[in-house]
Amino acid sequence: MQASVYLDRSTFLHRLDSRAKMAALAAFFVVALAFNHPAYAAGAWAAVLVIAAASRSLTNLWRIRALLFLLFIFAAVLWPFFVKGPTLALRLGPLVASRESLLYGLAVGLRLSAMVAAGMIFMSTTMTEELAHGLRRLGLPYAVSFALAAAVRLVPTFLGSSASVVEAQKSRGLDLESGNILARLRKHVPVLVPVFVTAIRSTDLTAMALESKGFGAHHRRTYYLELRMRPADWLCVALAVLAAGLAVYARLHGYGEVLPRL
Amino acid sequence: MEEASQDEAGLLAPRDAAASPGASPALELRNVTFTYRDAPRPALKGISLLVERGESVIVMGEGGAGKSTLCRCANGLIPHFQKGNLTGDILTFGESTRARPVHELARRVGLVFQDFESQLFSTSVELEAAFGPENFGLPRGEIARRIAESLAIAGMTGVERRAPATLSGGEKQRLAIASVLACRPELLVLDEPTTDLDPEGKRQVFEIARWLRNSSTTAPAVVMVEHETEEAAHFPRAVVMREGAIVYDGDVRALLARPEFMESQGIRPLPAAALFARLGETARPIEDADALSQLEILGYRFDRSRWEALAAGDSRRAYGHPLIEVRALSHSYDGIPALDGVDLTICEGEFVALLGQNGSGKTTLVKHFNGLMLPRAGEVRVAGADTRRQSALQLGRQVGYVFQNPDHQIFADTVREEVGFGPRNFGLAPDEVARRVTESLAAVGMEGLEEADPFSLTKGERQRIAVASALASRPKVLILDEPTTGLDYRQNVGMMELLRRLNDSGHTIIIVTHAMWVAAEYAHRAVMLSRGRVLLDAPMREAMARTDELAQAHLVAPQAVRLGAALGGVTLSVSELAACLRQ
Repeated sequence: MQASVYLDRSTFLHRLDSRAKMAALAAFFVVALAFNHPAYAAGAWAAVLVIAAASRSLTNLWRIRALLFLLFIFAAVLWPFFVKGPTLALRLGPLVASRESLLYGLAVGLRLSAMVAAGMIFMSTTMTEELAHGLRRLGLPYAVSFALAAAVRLVPTFLGSSASVVEAQKSRGLDLESGNILARLRKHVPVLVPVFVTAIRSTDLTAMALESKGFGAHHRRTYYLELRMRPADWLCVALAVLAAGLAVYARLHGYGEVLPRL
Repeated sequence: MEEASQDEAGLLAPRDAAASPGASPALELRNVTFTYRDAPRPALKGISLLVERGESVIVMGEGGAGKSTLCRCANGLIPHFQKGNLTGDILTFGESTRARPVHELARRVGLVFQDFESQLFSTSVELEAAFGPENFGLPRGEIARRIAESLAIAGMTGVERRAPATLSGGEKQRLAIASVLACRPELLVLDEPTTDLDPEGKRQVFEIARWLRNSSTTAPAVVMVEHETEEAAHFPRAVVMREGAIVYDGDVRALLARPEFMESQGIRPLPAAALFARLGETARPIEDADALSQLEILGYRFDRSRWEALAAGDSRRAYGHPLIEVRALSHSYDGIPALDGVDLTICEGEFVALLGQNGSGKTTLVKHFNGLMLPRAGEVRVAGADTRRQSALQLGRQVGYVFQNPDHQIFADTVREEVGFGPRNFGLAPDEVARRVTESLAAVGMEGLEEADPFSLTKGERQRIAVASALASRPKVLILDEPTTGLDYRQNVGMMELLRRLNDSGHTIIIVTHAMWVAAEYAHRAVMLSRGRVLLDAPMREAMARTDELAQAHLVAPQAVRLGAALGGVTLSVSELAACLRQ
């Protein structure tokens, strides 16, 4: 099992300052949220794929393909029944969907999954230390930025210990696959208790190891990784601001929408 | 030679204060008593201890003796991080630890924990080593120097960019040590750093400890908690703890010369010394060569006919029908082969030890025995039936599997509920479940504890609960993954005697283990894996003589075996060896 999200490669995106990447990610979110036309959202997805290919992080998108697919399907299937549009397209008993709301659902599915994919590219090309350092430079207290970064780092560890607990209980005849939802939830108790007990124990140890290596010792912590805004980084920020601005301007002028005010 | 070259490279910069005469000691405990909050008894009872600068001390003792508590006192985790009632004084370099927070003390005192997974949190090896120096606000150039220096001492130069998660257990623990050394501690405390490692990983960690011990006066003082008796011989001074008190503090060799005392303290005695005690001799050799020459001087000879009687005893063991049959089994993870054409047959009543380094495929193999993994290439048959055609429930009733860490399975409020979990899952009636619980608790020697809270038991007891949980399903075969890891000598012997009794009463036992003496003394057959292949499959006595294959798998035969082999025939325990010697 691969225990970390970061991919150690040397691409343009890997070399960008983490603050520039945060700006680009924020701008991407603005652009994605600005439009609700599926063609525009598909355009955002195309951009994601190009950037993923350029930063050689397609493997990580492939790893979360199920999540991306589910997000897309849920949004695309559910949203059409919650928004209203002028052109009737589909009637399933009491449920009504319009042509516009179908397109809207498609757009929401695409942009949600594109945003998650963009976040994945960010994590694939940015070390948690760079993220923590970047957040610190942006004014967040070190303890907070470290905690955020550490949380990202702990997820795979947590999943790993859950896997061994599931194996141990399966060996004792625990069957997690049958029964109705309630029965299944109850069956998870023998899994959840050991998972939480070991997680609490190991976070306690991690906290002690952190303290033992001088966490918080000096009011001015230094960083081995250098963070510097180079011209390329400033260019990235400028492009990000421009793209976000243009997207908002275009939307306000009626581009890229199937339904207004959404 | 190596020390000189390392020093020339400037790996350890000289420190003015270190080892200068009259300087305050690295660590001093004066009449320290500590009780964890909510604990009924103190973990340390009136301890006094003095560790000079540059000194090396090994700390030994049974589980629950207070060794970890002592370690945590040294760097201020007690009383600053772990709360409780502390009396007496703890001083590092002449200053009370009460006055300074842990992260301040960390400038001079480093602590390495047993659990290496929880100690590593960085994206790459070099950033892990950088973490301490960064916290102390050192300039970037100095951090780079510290990274290079500490990784060199830990033998990790060249893997700076690797993700810690991709390292082996031994490498992870060496990285944990390097990340502490990067702070250039003047006192380094290691709390059971090798317990969770395979033999090769242990050897590498011991090598770092040896280097620190032997390098010049600028090296830190080292306090190391360790169970490996044979490694202890390399330390000048030993401290033995029991029930929160220090019961021995002095020369290591004088301690190793008292095997009965060590055994009474829950520490495994050194085989050579134990042999001489058993023979009624006063000499207490430590190294093999010394033991052999002393035996010769004292006029002992190896009685070949007695040895042949022992060997004949091995071949009289009778086994039943094939229970587990593995044919041409292969498995790979993401294209990396873990098992490569394994053939193996295990019969009813056998006691098999699976040996090999981590990553040799042992765990992958045994997970195929109870259906946690199903063969994709090759075939596994349990009790005559293909595992792919049996349900998990069917397999689970025939094959009991005890995982390495009992805390990965304990969940219930009472021992009764915990042990009855398997039988309930297999759909047995309540009175039958109750019968099974009573029967299996009796088998592991824990009758009467039905209503106890499993979380309140000791590690050794929790391990027994895990065994009882597997037994309660009355399996034909019992698989145990590292059944003795993390147990002290007394618990270790207790666990193995339990398995011996179960085997004598007809259970088939398969253990996965790194402890060579455990395998030699208790198992009847050795299956040694290396890179997913069966390197050696033989009766234990024969396997222990195959030094070429052992070396190939980076394994070393235990001392009792080595001495017997040098004298005329493989003996599997000290008592066997003593029985074969005649004056």
